[in-house]
Amino acid sequence: MIPVVRHGLARLRNDRARTALLIVGVTAAAAMVGAAVTVAYALATAFDRSAAAAAMPDVTAQFAQQPLAPVAARVRALVNVRAAAYRIEAKGVDLTAGPRFATAVVDGVRNDGPRGYALTSGRDIRHRDEVVIEEGLARSWHVHLADRLTLGGDPLGVVGLATTPGTVAYPLSRSPRLYVSYDTARRLTGGAAGVNEVLLWLNDPSQVDVTLAQARAASFGLRDLQFVTRSGYRHLIGRAAGLVISLLVAFSAIVLLAAGVMLGASAAAEMQRRREAIGVLRAFGATPSSIAVGYAVESAAVAAPAACVGLVAGAAVVASPLRHLLGILNEITPPALTTFGLLAAAWAAIVLVVAAATWVPAWRAGRERIVDTLRGGDVVGAPKRVPLPALAGFGARLTLARPARAATLVTVLAASTAVVLLMLAIADVLHGLQRNAQTLGTRYQLTVAASDISLAEVREVPGVAAATLRYESDAADSFDLGESFKLVGFAGDVTSYESPPVDSGRRARGIGEAEVGAGLADALDLHAGGTLAAQLPSGREVRFRVVGIVDALRDEGLVAYVRAERLRAAMPAASTEIAIKLAQGASLNDVRNALLGRGVHADKTGGISEDSGLDTSGRASFLRVLAALLRSVAVLDGLVCVYALAQILALIARERRRAVAVIRALGASRAQVFAVFAGAAVLLAALALPIGVGVERAVLGPAVARLAVSYVTLSLKAGSSAILVVAGALAVAAAVAAGWATRTATADAIVAPLRED
Amino acid sequence: MQGVGSVLVRARGLTKTFGEGHAQARVLDGAGLEVARGEFIAVVGKSGSGKSTLLHLLGGLDRPDSGEIELDGVRIDRLDERGLTAIRRHKIGFVFQAFHLLPELTGVENVLLPARLARDGVEAAPRAKELLERLGLARIARRLPTELSGGEQQRLAIARALINDPALVLADEPTGNLDEESGADVLNLLRRLTDSDRSVVLVTHDRAATSIADRVLRLEGGRLVA
Ligand SMILES: Nc1ncnc2c1ncn2[C@@H]1O[C@H](COP(=O)(O)OP(=O)(O)OP(=O)(O)O)[C@@H](O)[C@H]1O
Ligand SMILES: [Mg+2]
Repeated sequence: MIPVVRHGLARLRNDRARTALLIVGVTAAAAMVGAAVTVAYALATAFDRSAAAAAMPDVTAQFAQQPLAPVAARVRALVNVRAAAYRIEAKGVDLTAGPRFATAVVDGVRNDGPRGYALTSGRDIRHRDEVVIEEGLARSWHVHLADRLTLGGDPLGVVGLATTPGTVAYPLSRSPRLYVSYDTARRLTGGAAGVNEVLLWLNDPSQVDVTLAQARAASFGLRDLQFVTRSGYRHLIGRAAGLVISLLVAFSAIVLLAAGVMLGASAAAEMQRRREAIGVLRAFGATPSSIAVGYAVESAAVAAPAACVGLVAGAAVVASPLRHLLGILNEITPPALTTFGLLAAAWAAIVLVVAAATWVPAWRAGRERIVDTLRGGDVVGAPKRVPLPALAGFGARLTLARPARAATLVTVLAASTAVVLLMLAIADVLHGLQRNAQTLGTRYQLTVAASDISLAEVREVPGVAAATLRYESDAADSFDLGESFKLVGFAGDVTSYESPPVDSGRRARGIGEAEVGAGLADALDLHAGGTLAAQLPSGREVRFRVVGIVDALRDEGLVAYVRAERLRAAMPAASTEIAIKLAQGASLNDVRNALLGRGVHADKTGGISEDSGLDTSGRASFLRVLAALLRSVAVLDGLVCVYALAQILALIARERRRAVAVIRALGASRAQVFAVFAGAAVLLAALALPIGVGVERAVLGPAVARLAVSYVTLSLKAGSSAILVVAGALAVAAAVAAGWATRTATADAIVAPLRED
Repeated sequence: MQGVGSVLVRARGLTKTFGEGHAQARVLDGAGLEVARGEFIAVVGKSGSGKSTLLHLLGGLDRPDSGEIELDGVRIDRLDERGLTAIRRHKIGFVFQAFHLLPELTGVENVLLPARLARDGVEAAPRAKELLERLGLARIARRLPTELSGGEQQRLAIARALINDPALVLADEPTGNLDEESGADVLNLLRRLTDSDRSVVLVTHDRAATSIADRVLRLEGGRLVA
């Protein structure tokens, strides 16, 4: 055994090129696995971990402000409630710190139950003049503990930083979230005693539906009641994270498959060259298993440090973007120790895979008859007829001489192609969301409260192209009160303000017509031509004829867009805003400032005008970053393809060095040697491309689209331009790989391989 | 074309050294020879004396450290890779001891390969057919090399060496892997090549081969002696 291992280590030293290739391959694969493990684990567990750390409530109920006592009495009547916390929440509170300004959401906390937010540093509020701020605010404004800021005119000292799972961090959310004492918040809301928010923790969270139904039934008299559940949010986050996780898992599976195939193939090729040496070892008494172990130890010795470096590098590369992403989602990064444990397990797995990939062919070679191995030998057993032009056809035959290997490589290339196409399709959709207001649907950029300013005044502000009244109300389906949704009405033409893509039917035009979000259409089984019967909080019912189903992104598609007339008649107190469209080229901030000058605060909608407001929209920049990220992953994946192709051609060049030397001796030029390798590469790429395209369009795209957003129909099928790009990239990859193989194959003198007899 | 008997190959002062330091060995040390058109030369020598090395230099597969090689009036030791490629294509036919047929290609495809490399595949097809018939290989032309005997493989290799009608055929122990009878067949074939004014340089250990040669040269101490 010892001499066999020694022989292995001597091989490593002597064959530097092979050792280097092994190191590069293992390191690259390990880096990808390290990145995938870190991100997938963090995303898969972050929400639960953060929710647990913050003691996130199972149900949060919001309603118009009420005195505490009657609300508490109703809550006490609910079964299954373990704990409750009552709060007063103030929205749109002016917040300043130095020169910075924002309108904040402020929660007044009574010390009556769990907090529902996780302190990440500092301590909780004890006095009236203290505030706990969300981490996102601290990050983007560079606010530290003990700094002071002004909230609604009151100076407060920062005593703690917190994250609240279930919300998105500032500045991606428009308003930062702050926690103050109940008394402070009460002062901010105008002084009236009472609460407008209840946090509930349940004994049995799985029974949340029952509790919700009971709560709705008992909620008589509570206006504007809204429930948010922990399980609902978990579901939402899980879907988004699931998308990223499955992409990563798919991608690293491809990389691992590629690495495994390459390692196995290169080991098999090595065995082919080493058959004679193996025969000699056995002729002098080595057993097949000791030979196999010798080879396995040899490659494991190389893989162990390479895998370690790769894993650490991969984890390090994603660490910062991951922290950023989790920060945006108000989630906590996982403990370093667990991540480390996972990476260690991945390390063991990779080393094992590498050792096995060499062990198998060595064991097989070791079991051949000694006399056969002593004869060594070139590869034989090619298929008889491949009707292709001479040299490229010869290359194709060289590839097909190893059908199993060719098939695996085609699989790898096809899978990569499919993933790249998917990435490009997603990036396209994101790009569209970012660019095209049509896709988002919202075509106005600002809103102001209608009570603050008249429509005519707004229309006079420079930079305002158009403005109209906008009504929004909660509503419940009259037939099935369980399903609640948003009813949004515009005075006049709806679609010039809100025009999500029409999925079926047509745009609403008449007074009694409604465009219904796909989510609501699903929930209520509505079709174009059906009737939407909406129960308003006032108790009145309004009916609309459904004329179109639209892909609305907001509120999971639980929304209906209508003309305002009936809404206004049925509900005079519906919250009224003025929706403002900016003129071409007008600056969003100039218009906001002009309105501020008239004493009116305007909210951004995130709606994007055709050529302005792009860079002022947080969502747009987020989408841009995401699209860029996906495109770079696609490029990375493309590089994996080049590597895989180059590897297999290098293998062919190695295995068949004598054949290459022979054709050179017969007068083949460099270009002709290139043609041989290009023939091999093009064959593989040409087989892989249609398979990859088919898989993406028929399986991967639709599956991911469903996983991502079930409430809108997104097309993630790669378009023809993406397919052209990928085909071009594959051709380039084939050429690069063939060029590289030609270089290595023609670098040596012709005679060396010919002498190997 | 020059007349019969004119010089095809003129090599002078060839040296070639392999290895470095202690392991350095000067395999050729001032070797020289002249080959006339239509001449059949046998080169003999001990194993490791540099016979194959000499053949590789003459065939443009390798370069001498110093010395001159003139082939059909062209100094091939001065040619770049592109020039050498052209020489290998059009002037030289190489026959190896181990045949070196490509296992993926059928007999006739192997024979046609040099013509295809010279972008002459279509025109060469009838020539290949005729060659195969002349060498008694028509029957096995569509088989893969692995299905053939050693003698058949070597005859295919000779056909391959002749397809581009080279002026010089270099054969490195072409009978080394063959039994006596097949070896005799192959030698006859090579001898007949000189009838059409081709020159043959044959490296061999075989007594039968030396007896049919016009001249026998011995490689000794890095030089060729008569
Ligand atoms: N590429 C090379 N690298 C190192 N040494 C070489 C190389 N080619 C030849 N040699 C050495 O040069 C010497 C001559 O080799 P060559 O193959 O020319 O001998 P030969 O006369 O053909 O022997 P044989 O009759 O065994 O075929 C040998 O010692 C050999 O080891
Ligand atoms: Mg020799």
